[in-house]
Amino acid sequence: MDTYSPVTAEIAALLEEICGANHVIFRDEERLEPYSHDEIPGKHYRHMPEIVVRPSTTEEVSRIVALANERHIPVTPRGAGSGLSGGAVPVFGGIVVATDRMNKILELDKENMMIVVQPGVVANDINEFLKPHGLFYAGYPMSMETCYIGGNVAENAGGGKAVKYGVTGRYVLGLEVVMPSGQILEVGGKLLKDVTGYNLLPLLTGSEGTLGIFTKIILKVIPRPKYQFDLLALFKDSRTAINAVPATLTGSGITPTSIEYMDADSFKAACRYLNETLPYDECGAMLLVSVDGNDPEQMMDDIELLGDFLEKQGAFNVYVADTQANSERIWKIRRSVAEAFSLYFPRQSGEDVVVPPAAIADVVEEFQTLAEKYGVAIPCYGHAGDGNLHSRVSAPDSWSDEQWEQTLPKLLEELYGVVARRGGRISGEHGIGCKRLKYMPCVVSEAFIDVLRAIKAALDPNNIMNPGKIFAMTAK
Amino acid sequence: MRYAVLIKQVPDTRTVRMDEKTGTVVRDGSQAVINPLDLYALKAALSLKTEDAAANVTVISMGPAAAEKALREALALGADDALLICDRVAAGSDTMATSKILAAALRKFGPFDAIFTGERATDGDTGQVGPEIASALGVGLATYVGSVKTGQGGLEAERKTENDVEQWLVHLPAVISVTKAIGEVGLPTLAGKKAARRRPIPTVTVAELGLAAEEVGLNGSPTRVVKIFHPSIGRKGRRITVVDETTLQQATDAIAAMVKGGAQ
Repeated sequence: MDTYSPVTAEIAALLEEICGANHVIFRDEERLEPYSHDEIPGKHYRHMPEIVVRPSTTEEVSRIVALANERHIPVTPRGAGSGLSGGAVPVFGGIVVATDRMNKILELDKENMMIVVQPGVVANDINEFLKPHGLFYAGYPMSMETCYIGGNVAENAGGGKAVKYGVTGRYVLGLEVVMPSGQILEVGGKLLKDVTGYNLLPLLTGSEGTLGIFTKIILKVIPRPKYQFDLLALFKDSRTAINAVPATLTGSGITPTSIEYMDADSFKAACRYLNETLPYDECGAMLLVSVDGNDPEQMMDDIELLGDFLEKQGAFNVYVADTQANSERIWKIRRSVAEAFSLYFPRQSGEDVVVPPAAIADVVEEFQTLAEKYGVAIPCYGHAGDGNLHSRVSAPDSWSDEQWEQTLPKLLEELYGVVARRGGRISGEHGIGCKRLKYMPCVVSEAFIDVLRAIKAALDPNNIMNPGKIFAMTAK
Repeated sequence: MRYAVLIKQVPDTRTVRMDEKTGTVVRDGSQAVINPLDLYALKAALSLKTEDAAANVTVISMGPAAAEKALREALALGADDALLICDRVAAGSDTMATSKILAAALRKFGPFDAIFTGERATDGDTGQVGPEIASALGVGLATYVGSVKTGQGGLEAERKTENDVEQWLVHLPAVISVTKAIGEVGLPTLAGKKAARRRPIPTVTVAELGLAAEEVGLNGSPTRVVKIFHPSIGRKGRRITVVDETTLQQATDAIAAMVKGGAQ
């Protein structure tokens, strides 16, 4: 276990000198508290920071990190705090570096089809900014109205459109990073090809803030598709619905933008939450399938083809949304599942497993067997099209907190075992953070973790950059 | 029973922009949708159809050729027939000329037992066309109807006013304008969409409805839009910070002066 130096009044004064006293929060419980957690429900993964700093320039970030490195104080970078793995939680206290003031879109480079942004820009704002230019940034996390691009890159966020467009990392072309020493490093650039040395971009993308703090991000943008049409397919049972997912990908001849799955518990919670009046009583599972493009006639042909295909796969009713209003109505159901669950199930663990797309039906089935065994509910929903499933392990109301705390680790180990046997991993897009750290050995070898440790030790010898995340520095 | 539903295509308020200089809607780049309030009219007619399978629901719209899209959406949602009144001479019609044209269409393609409209359109925002049609056709009118069902000798309608909920028995034929309380229309089904996409939509001109060009459009419209402007909403308040006796005196003086002079 690492021991770190405390943040003293002297350190606080030095940090105030760097960022300005207005942008430092110290010895103020009430204002520090929001920085003690992300959006994991419950209080289990909370930890108070000793100090929060809100720098506005790369140089300030560099000086903060250099000071922390010299004095051996842990540094936790933070975006919007909308994460779901505890990535932004300062588990050893120390300094939280909030990136909310670094929120400028620095440059739209139309000739290269790239955009340069600071880490604190809200992901959605990038697309609002690009819209009048007919351009589009295709990384699409579901919380895009709040989350910051810096957090997206740190977690290599995925989201609903990954089936067609891939995840955040696909669009990251360059990074300016403050390394754990405080050194400022340029990685990549406005280049579509670059094999000059080790490819550090994919290492840093998804490093969960453990290797450095991004201060500038170069993203690839693409022409904006003018329209999106959606299908909402209703199935009698979850098995038929989930089987239709790989079938659609391999057999329909069309690449959808997204294929989202919701089991009965999931959509019923969301529909109840939204007062949605669609007749869903007969329905055991839903698939939401979207296509995008520029030619509405061609897209409607695709929609008909996909709809017919889904009916052949067992959908008993298929709705079509080719207007923005209807599209929003359908997507709202999917987007509200997590929020609705948090409301209806106080004790729950949100999982983010990913398996090869063809294995998803078997995994859902095995999860249900596990749920019965432990007497819990494991509703499943998510981006089934890319094999990424969000399942919420939820305890019945009758359980005590103690029973929940005791059962959950056992259950999770078994659940992750199911995932491992199918060649899957414990997180597709939310990250490991502190939440899943101890479960890493369920799905990866000790040798793999040793490589991660070696990289971390080489780049952050004092282990000050977001410690306590992804893996433990020493094996058990 | 034959029900008519009048729908209008309007710019989608999510994407619409206003021209700051002229005060008019910039139609370029904004998507056109069925007036959201007209969807409640469609919902009212469709729910009556679920009580009576023999009932027929016809949707009628007046507008450019592109308004066909709105009619196809209504067909996909469950309407049986559609009719588009499409004629250049109708452009610029005010609510009176519009209701004259729609009344002529309802007469020619009717008779209809009930004619449903939304409360108003989100672009013009007048709420006049429904009542004017009732007047032009010489039939009854029920406005602000929040629920409707088949009753003895007509339709039972619940009408919401500011102070009361009124229970009406509406003798038919009649025009019924409905509110949001009717409920959301469903989503179009795949089968509905496919059928609607391939249906020819009959189109009629003003002349075919037996009206002369002078009776409609700008010439047939007594309404003249003289000026369009943004109302200015300015907070004209003044903040006076009181820190001591002197500023307190200044504050009370200022308030007294304002009261005396009348609030600005």
